[in-house]
Amino acid sequence: MTTPKTSSSRRLRFERLPLRRIILISLSIAIVYGVVAGSAATIRLGTYTAADWRTLVINGIARGSVYALIAIGYTLVYGILFMINFAHGEVFMAGAYTAFFVAVAFGGSGYLNEHPLISIAAILIVSMVTSTLVAIILERVAYRPLRGAPRLVPLITAIGASFFLQYTFRGLYGAQARAYPTINILEGTWTIFGASILRKQVIVIVAAVLLWVALFAFVAKTRTGRSMRAVGEDREIAALMGINVDRTIVATFAIGGALAGAAGILYVFLFNQVIFTMGFFPGIKAFTAAVLGGIGSVTGAAMGGLLLGVLEAVGPNLFLTGAEVPSPNQLQPVVAFGILVLVLIFLPGGFLGAPEEKRA
Amino acid sequence: MRAALTGDNVRAGLIGGVVVLYLALVGMIERFQDRDVITGVIGLGTLLILIGLAGTGYMASRPPKPRSGQEPVSANPALKGLVAGAVAGALTGGVILVLELLISAGADVRSVLASVTPGMLSTLEFGLGSFGGAAILVALGAALGAGTGALRLLSDHARDTVTFTVTSLLLMSLLEPILGAVLDGLGLPERWLYQGGGLTVLGAILTVVIAGTARWFWKQREPQRKEAVASMPADRRSLYRKLAVFAAVALLVVLPWIVGSFISDVLGTVGLYVLLGLGLNIVVGYAGLLDLGYVAFFAVGAYATGILTSPASYLVREEGQLFAEKGFTNFWVALPFVVIIAIIIGVLIGAPVLRLRGDYLAIVTLGFGEIIRTLVLSDWLSPYLGGAQGLLRVPPAPPDALDLRAPQNVYYLILVFCGIAAFVAWRLSDSRVGRAWAAMREDESVAEAMGISVIRYKLLAFAMGAGVGSLGGVFFAAKIGSIFPNSFGLLVSINVLSVIILGGLGSIPGVIVGSAVLVGLPELLREFAEFRLLIYGAILVAIMILRPEGLVPNKRRQRELHAREFELGATAPDEATA
Repeated sequence: MTTPKTSSSRRLRFERLPLRRIILISLSIAIVYGVVAGSAATIRLGTYTAADWRTLVINGIARGSVYALIAIGYTLVYGILFMINFAHGEVFMAGAYTAFFVAVAFGGSGYLNEHPLISIAAILIVSMVTSTLVAIILERVAYRPLRGAPRLVPLITAIGASFFLQYTFRGLYGAQARAYPTINILEGTWTIFGASILRKQVIVIVAAVLLWVALFAFVAKTRTGRSMRAVGEDREIAALMGINVDRTIVATFAIGGALAGAAGILYVFLFNQVIFTMGFFPGIKAFTAAVLGGIGSVTGAAMGGLLLGVLEAVGPNLFLTGAEVPSPNQLQPVVAFGILVLVLIFLPGGFLGAPEEKRA
Repeated sequence: MRAALTGDNVRAGLIGGVVVLYLALVGMIERFQDRDVITGVIGLGTLLILIGLAGTGYMASRPPKPRSGQEPVSANPALKGLVAGAVAGALTGGVILVLELLISAGADVRSVLASVTPGMLSTLEFGLGSFGGAAILVALGAALGAGTGALRLLSDHARDTVTFTVTSLLLMSLLEPILGAVLDGLGLPERWLYQGGGLTVLGAILTVVIAGTARWFWKQREPQRKEAVASMPADRRSLYRKLAVFAAVALLVVLPWIVGSFISDVLGTVGLYVLLGLGLNIVVGYAGLLDLGYVAFFAVGAYATGILTSPASYLVREEGQLFAEKGFTNFWVALPFVVIIAIIIGVLIGAPVLRLRGDYLAIVTLGFGEIIRTLVLSDWLSPYLGGAQGLLRVPPAPPDALDLRAPQNVYYLILVFCGIAAFVAWRLSDSRVGRAWAAMREDESVAEAMGISVIRYKLLAFAMGAGVGSLGGVFFAAKIGSIFPNSFGLLVSINVLSVIILGGLGSIPGVIVGSAVLVGLPELLREFAEFRLLIYGAILVAIMILRPEGLVPNKRRQRELHAREFELGATAPDEATA
C-alpha cells in the first residue's frame, strides 16, 4: 500500500519541478542583462556618433517598411485561413525577379532614366502582377485541396511550395545574383529636418505608407474587404450570408501577393540585387514582424515590421559591440530570429493580436 | 466527336502542355537528356516529354465523376485522350515555335529564360526543326493521348500489367548505376544489359517481356495467393515474416562488398539519412511536433565530436595532454558525451518552446536552426568552433586496424546504429510512451485531460530526436573527417523532413524507402542533383495533397488522416464549409 503512494508522490514532485519556468526565467534574466549591459558598454565606448545611430535607425525604418508590406500578406492569409503561408517570401521574390528583366530592357534602351516615373510604374506593375499570379496559383494548386486538413498539413505543403518556387525560378532565370540597373532619381540624398537621408530610403518609406493606407482603406471600406473580415470571423456563417468564400480567399491571396510584389520592388530599390533565394530571409522576417504585431492584425503587421527593422538594424551594434563581439553585423539573423523566438515564447499573441484561445 | 471536344478535355490538354513546357523551361528536359534510357534510342529528356503527353491523355480520359442532376457526358476515352494529348502537344509546339521565331528575329531569349538553349529546343523538336518539331509534338500528343486513353478500355488486369511494365522499364534504366555495379561485383557480364549509362535494346526488350509476363501471371494468381496466405497458420506466417526480415538484413550486410566503394559511400549517406529520419520521425511522426530546425542537433553532434576529438580543436589543443591521457579524445569515449550534450541542448531548446501551438513551434525551431548556424559561422565563436573555415582533422573512429574511413566500414558502422535506432523506435511506438505520443498528437487537450503530462512527453520526444540526430552528426563528422558550417543549413532539415514525409510519418520502413529514393537516387543520378530541391518541394506538396500517409504508411497514422474525411468538424470547426 505504501510503496505506490510514495512513488506517485515522488513523481508528482518531479512533475512540479518547474524546469520550464526555471529555463524561462534564466533565459529572460540573461537576455535582459545582455541587452542592458551590452548597450551600456557600447554607449560608454562611444564608437558610434549620434549621426551613426540616426543612419542606422533610418536604415531600419526603410527595411522595416518593406517587411511590413510582406507581413500584411502573412497576416491577411492567417486571419482568414489560420495557416502560415510559408511560401509568401517566394511570392515576393517572384515579382522582383521577373520585373528585373523589364528594368534591364528599359535600362538598356536608356528609357529608364529619360522617363523614370513611367519606367518605375511599369516595373512596379509587372512585379505586382507576377506576384499576384503566383499567389493565386499557389492558393489554387497547393492550398485549396487542403482546406480542412489538420493544421500541420498545409504548413508542410507551404514549405514544399516554397522550395518548389525557389528552384523553379532558379531553373527559369538562372542561379546567379543579378544587379538591377541604377535609377538616377533614386540616388543622392535629401536633407530633412537637418539630417541628410538617402533618397531611396525616403521614397521606400513613403511608398510603403501609401500602400499600407490604401490597403487599410480597402479592408475597412470595400465590399471585398468586408467579406474578408466576415470569412475570417466565421467562414460557415459568412457562406450562409451569401459571401463567396472561395472568391474571398482568392482575393486575400491576390492582395497579399500584390503587396509582396510592390515590396519586392522597394526591396530592390534598397538593395539593388535579385537572386532566386532572396525571398527566404525577408519572408521569415516578415513573418516575425506579423507575429510581433499580432498575427491577423493589419496595423500590427505594420508596427511589427517597423519595430523589427529598427531592432535588426540597431540591435547588433548596440547590444554586441559593447560586449566586444567581433563583427556584430554577422549576427543580425540571430537578433531577428532571437526576437521571433522570444516573442513566440513570451507574447504569442503579439501586441495587437487576439489572445491565443480566441483564435484556436 | 463533339463530346470529346468539351472544355474538360481541352483544359486537361492545356494543363498537360503547361507541365511539359514547365519541365522544359526549368531545364529538366535538357539536363535529363544526358542520361539514356535505352542507349542510342531514347534519352530521359525525350521520355519525360512523352510521359507528359501520355499522362495528359490518361488524366483526360478518366471516367467522369457522377454529378448530380446532370447526365455524364460519355465519350470514347481514346478520343478524349486524343483531344487532350493533341492540345498539350499543340501548346508545347506553339510556344517552342514562338521561342524559335523570337530567337531567329534576334531576341536574346536566353538572357531572360536561362534554360532556352539550342539543346533544349532540339530535344523538344526531336531534331526536326521548328515547324517539323511542332507538327511532331501535336502528332505524338494525339497518338500517345489516344493510346493512353484507349488503356481505359482494357480490363483492370491488362491496364495494370501495362503500367507495371512501363514503370519497370524506367526503373531498370534509372537503376543502372546500382544494378550495373551489382553485376560487376558479382563478376557477371553486363554489356548485354547496360551500355553507356542506359539499357541496351536487348535489355529493354527482355525487361518488357519479363516484367510483363511476370506481372500478368502474378496478378492472375492473386486471389488464390491471398487465400493461401489467409489459411496459413499463424506461426508459419510469422516464420515467413522472420525469414523475410532475415533475408533483408543479410542483403544489407553483403551489399557493400558487391557494389564497390563508390556505391557503398552512397549507401553510407543513405544510412545517415535513415538515422536522421528515424530521429525526426520520433519528433514529427510519433509526437506530432513539426521540427524544422532538426539540423541543429545534427550540427551539435558533428561539432561536439569535432571539439572533443579533433587535435585542431581548442579543447584538445590546450588541454590535450590531460584529455588524451584519460582517453577522452577517443571517438568511442566521446560518443556518449556528444549524445548527452545534444540531449541537454534539446531539452534547453525544447522546454521553453514546447508549449507553443504546432505551426508556431515549426517556425521557432526553424529559427533555432538558423541561430545555431549563424553562431557557428560567426567570427565571435570562431576560436571555439572554427568559424567559416570549419573544424578540420576529425580523427576517424578507432580501432585503426578496422580503417573506419573506408566507405564499407562506415556503412557498417551506420548500419549498426540505424538498426539500434530502428529497434528503439519500433519498441517505442507501441509502448506506453508511444501511445501517449499518439494521444497527444491526435488531441492535446484530451490527452492532457486523460492524465498525460503533455509537456513531459513532448520533451521526451524532443530529447530522443535530439539524441538520434546528434548520432547522425557524429557519423557525419567521422565519415567526412572535417566539419564545415555550410553542411548544416536549413536544407538538411528539409531533406530529412521530405524523407520521412515521402515514406510516411511514423513509419520505420517508410524512412528507409524515403532515404533510398530521395537521398540515394540523386547521389547516383547526378542529373537529378540540380533539381533536387525542386523535386523535394514538389514531393512535399504532392504527398500532402494526394497521399498524406506517405508511400509506406503507418497504419494508425493512416486511420487518423482519413478519419478527417468523416468528421471534418472535429479538428477545425471553421473549415467545414470550404
